[in-house]
Amino acid sequence: MAADIGINIWINEERYEKLKEAGLADMAEEVLAGMKRIQIKCTEEQKDEILKKYPSAKFDASTTRTIELLPRDVKDKIFEIAIAKKSTGPEVIEEFLKG
Amino acid sequence: MSDYIGHGGKPIVERVLEKDKAKDAIQGLTQVPVRRQIAHEAISLSYGFFTPLEGFMTWEDVNTVCTEMRLSDGTVWSIPILFDMKAEKLKELEIKEGDSILLTYMDAPLAIMDVEEIYDCDKLTVCQAVYGTTETKHPGVRRTMECEDKFLAGKITLVNEPKFNEPYKSFWKTPKQHIDAKKEKGWEHMVAHQTRNVPHTGHEWLMKGAWFAANEDLMVDELRTGVLVNCIIGEKRVGDYIDEAILLAHNKLNEAGYFRPDVHMVTFTLWDMRYAGPREAIFHAALRTNLGCTHHMFGRDHAGVGDYYDTYAAHHLLKQVKDDLRIKPVFVLEWWYCPVCAEVTCSALCGHTKERQKFSGTLIRSIIMDGVKPTRLILRPEVFDTVMECAEKYGFGSPFVTEKYLAERQPIFTLEKMEVGKA
Ligand SMILES: [Zn+2]
Repeated sequence: MAADIGINIWINEERYEKLKEAGLADMAEEVLAGMKRIQIKCTEEQKDEILKKYPSAKFDASTTRTIELLPRDVKDKIFEIAIAKKSTGPEVIEEFLKG
Repeated sequence: MSDYIGHGGKPIVERVLEKDKAKDAIQGLTQVPVRRQIAHEAISLSYGFFTPLEGFMTWEDVNTVCTEMRLSDGTVWSIPILFDMKAEKLKELEIKEGDSILLTYMDAPLAIMDVEEIYDCDKLTVCQAVYGTTETKHPGVRRTMECEDKFLAGKITLVNEPKFNEPYKSFWKTPKQHIDAKKEKGWEHMVAHQTRNVPHTGHEWLMKGAWFAANEDLMVDELRTGVLVNCIIGEKRVGDYIDEAILLAHNKLNEAGYFRPDVHMVTFTLWDMRYAGPREAIFHAALRTNLGCTHHMFGRDHAGVGDYYDTYAAHHLLKQVKDDLRIKPVFVLEWWYCPVCAEVTCSALCGHTKERQKFSGTLIRSIIMDGVKPTRLILRPEVFDTVMECAEKYGFGSPFVTEKYLAERQPIFTLEKMEVGKA
């Protein structure tokens, strides 16, 4: 299954330091006027599971194909896993959903 | 000629009774509790926000609004202003044409309605005419279809003026007060900005661009053009910015000097967006005419939703009825950040279409949600700080509407209790 749905993790200085320490600074891409982000990819199935678990989150199907409005602590957790796994692929979300 | 002339060249009429007279007038009237939307519209009608309307619409007006986009007297009007009620409720309260009834809200008297007509109305016909669709996934269609089966027409007189709570109080102006404020500021031109958003720099530059357009050939030795940011305060959905943050963040733009205070003013109108796209644009034009505006910004897909309306449909409809409007549309372009130009610029000027970075409300919301401070080129730091302060003070920790905010937010206004004798 294609993992073509994104979860944006915005990078502030603190997160950027962690990325650098893990040697992942290159993963951060600049999208808007100097704002950096990494995008964790997930599958359709994972998306549904996330939306079920966090009903306040929304999937923007038409423009960005990203899951938005996830609580901050959820993003923090996903970010930690991405650092540990040195990846932005669907295995990050797989691990997150197990936890 | 009066200074208070509104849409259609009609005088702005305030139908508001003084306290003493109101106390007498409401005695013995049948009380009808109304929901938030009807209460807000009754308030707007009473102060003249919907000039030339002085009350909820008659069948004849609804009919011509649908078929010709005009009131029965020929004035351009695009959205029916309806007061619906259950047939059983009408029967139970024995309400008939010719009666005066007392609308109540939050357990207090609000306004007297002189019931001129009670009628049936085909909701599907209204939806097709106003929204161009009858699909209930369109939020305006849903709103109309949820109306009860009977409709009441008649003039509205406010008997209990709302007492707005802060921060709303600082931004509340009636149409006449808008016109007075414009005069005090020495503005000859006033250009309206319609918003339900916290301003990012894309909005800021859009408004700045509109200032130049609206200033036209006025001399600039003394500034005589102002931007009126007229926020729409109404129905909220989970995920929207909280109302307090919208008002205070816009005002922060002048407090922090991004706009000079003498060319910028923030106010609000109580209105539930219908998302009627082009027809809503016409409504906004009428509304802002009644606030004294000479110009109005209209962007791409103004007041649209989903993909129901063409990007420029509103612009075309405005053009069609321009001779009947007393307000000039300022058609605004798409503003974006360009890393090559190294500035916020717009689609008509910047040629770096490959490099440009579009502003997306969703992206900015997601940045704020992460607690990450956006760069000042996207969101002014003062605006960001204001939004976060509002989150703490009014939003139960969130700058976005949550279920808790919907249930427990501080009321926009309060109504004084008044004694009403039994009918
Ligand atoms: Zn450029």
